[in-house]
Amino acid sequence: MYRNLTIRQKQIVWAWAFLAIPILFYSVIRFYPTGNAILISFQDWNLLGDRTWTGLDNYQKLFADPVFWKVFKNTFVYLLIGTPVSLLISFVIAYHLDQVRFMHGFLRTLYFLPFMTSAVAMAWVWRWFYQPVPVGLFNNALASIGIPQFPFLQSTTWALPSVLAPAGWAGLGFQVIIFMAGLRAIPRSYYEAARIDGVSWWTVLWEITLPLLKPTIVFIVVFSSIGFLRIFDHVFNMTTNNPGGPLNSTKPLVLMIYETAFSAFDMGYAAAQTVVLFLVLLVVSLIQLRILRDS
Amino acid sequence: MADLAIRNLVKRYDKTEVLHGISLDVEDGEFVVFVGPSGCGKSTTLRLIAGLEDATSGEIVIGGRVVNNLEPKDRDIAMVFQNYAIYPHMTVRKNIGFGLRTSKMSKADKEARIDEVAGILGMSDLLARKPSQLSGGQRQRVAIGRAMVRDPAVFLFDEPLSNLDAQLRTQMRLEIKKLHQRVGNTIIFVTHDQVEAMTMADRIVIMKDGHIQQVGTPAEVYHKPANTFVARFIGAPSMNMLSGTVANGALQMASGSTVDLGVGLPEGRHVTVGVRPEDLHPGAGPALVRGPVTVREPLGHETLIYVGAEGQEVIAKADGRTPPEVGEEVTLTAALDTLHIFDAATGDALR
Repeated sequence: MYRNLTIRQKQIVWAWAFLAIPILFYSVIRFYPTGNAILISFQDWNLLGDRTWTGLDNYQKLFADPVFWKVFKNTFVYLLIGTPVSLLISFVIAYHLDQVRFMHGFLRTLYFLPFMTSAVAMAWVWRWFYQPVPVGLFNNALASIGIPQFPFLQSTTWALPSVLAPAGWAGLGFQVIIFMAGLRAIPRSYYEAARIDGVSWWTVLWEITLPLLKPTIVFIVVFSSIGFLRIFDHVFNMTTNNPGGPLNSTKPLVLMIYETAFSAFDMGYAAAQTVVLFLVLLVVSLIQLRILRDS
Repeated sequence: MADLAIRNLVKRYDKTEVLHGISLDVEDGEFVVFVGPSGCGKSTTLRLIAGLEDATSGEIVIGGRVVNNLEPKDRDIAMVFQNYAIYPHMTVRKNIGFGLRTSKMSKADKEARIDEVAGILGMSDLLARKPSQLSGGQRQRVAIGRAMVRDPAVFLFDEPLSNLDAQLRTQMRLEIKKLHQRVGNTIIFVTHDQVEAMTMADRIVIMKDGHIQQVGTPAEVYHKPANTFVARFIGAPSMNMLSGTVANGALQMASGSTVDLGVGLPEGRHVTVGVRPEDLHPGAGPALVRGPVTVREPLGHETLIYVGAEGQEVIAKADGRTPPEVGEEVTLTAALDTLHIFDAATGDALR
């Protein structure tokens, strides 16, 4: 029977045969749990007992919950500080690293190293850096030059930036590598032509390099935004005695979901939060793609 | 406008010397083509003139000024790159105007200048387009426009036609030549294509391994090549090289015949006799080559025949209507004044 098919029909058969595996995987591992989560968000369930239909109760509870709004705001602070700052720093590093010939490979490896390191280990090392005198590295350094101690993880104002710093640092290596690949893809003659025209360094950067890097920038912005919106490991490991503290000042949405599900065992409520996170990620990504898309 | 001179120009990368002290004078308004195989140093010379690379030693003089220590923008030059180097995110107008960014002209003057250049290049109606909406030839013209807009003393072209297909290349060749006749600026043009060099240049500079082999008009380098390299490089199909010796004041060819050129040649010297395929033909006269025809290439008005002799293939021109058959033994001859005689050892022309 297979023999009698046209070449095109044979290709279709093979295409579906190969597609079957990812389709099966996505259905079982991705789409089924997603659908199930949406379903649970309309139910009340403690993980063991019966599921009871409660309609929009979970969502009403969520929107009336002050902790949810605090956490919602935190999540966006992570996003709105983390993405632009890490984008800027990684571009500056990549731009200069691209011009360095001396030990280029070694330096690039150094920048990439944090990306390969376990987030948990990194969070604990940074947590140690932030401790008060005589344990913490930073406060010891401050003390030795006579500056008062800084309450990195104890302050409700400074705890979030303190958690954000290592999280941004961890992703930097990846962004630097992507930026460097983008910079390498710009033909040298573009710069040589600009040099002959005698335009300033700033004009070259602003009117040649950055516009030509736009696809790279879109990619990094979308990826890093999704990363910051889903931030969890760093927060959880740096604030284990009081997850998301002090006073929920560092708690992101994912941590709230985790606690609702696996400390309070309120699966329906956690599922509702998950659905909100999903929608936020979807909307943010779509907006970014639209704004930064090639005209 | 200005004349250009390079004196004892040397370029070294670490320990490798790629240019070995070349010197050249270019007159105001002249169209000079640098030609040679890849790696001969022609592009390096151009980049040194542009100031994109520093000369190791020697002088570059543009319009009476030594420019070695000037930035490219201060050298009064403009360059057209092989890949055009036009910016894909800017319109044609912005691309052409990019060369005026640092100029002190008023905005209205700049716009007028862009319009003028676009008019000369026949692309006034394309100014609002992006490069992706243009054909290869149009992109090439934008690149030329960007160079023209600054009205430089010297135009530098770095193999600008090699990304175009054959037909467009012929057309752009003509356009650039017309443009030169119209604007009259000095042009230095680098190419590896000897046809481009022959058709466009006022003077051709033939380079090999970082040395200038010969400088001359197209007619000079074609009819009086300075050595065997130039003789083979210029002209297609390339010149046949036969070996011979000078005995009793006459050429003793390997084919066995003796050719008396009537000029004094050093007695007993081994020589290379060069003869262009179009000068070599079957017939009566001094027999330069004898051998069987191996291949025929009919071109309509004439037929090229390949003749096996002296362990090589010699190309000759035969009649278009009644060429010799493949396998037929032929005797090839040429007018004596079309023979080029080179020293077999050094390759330099003896006559």
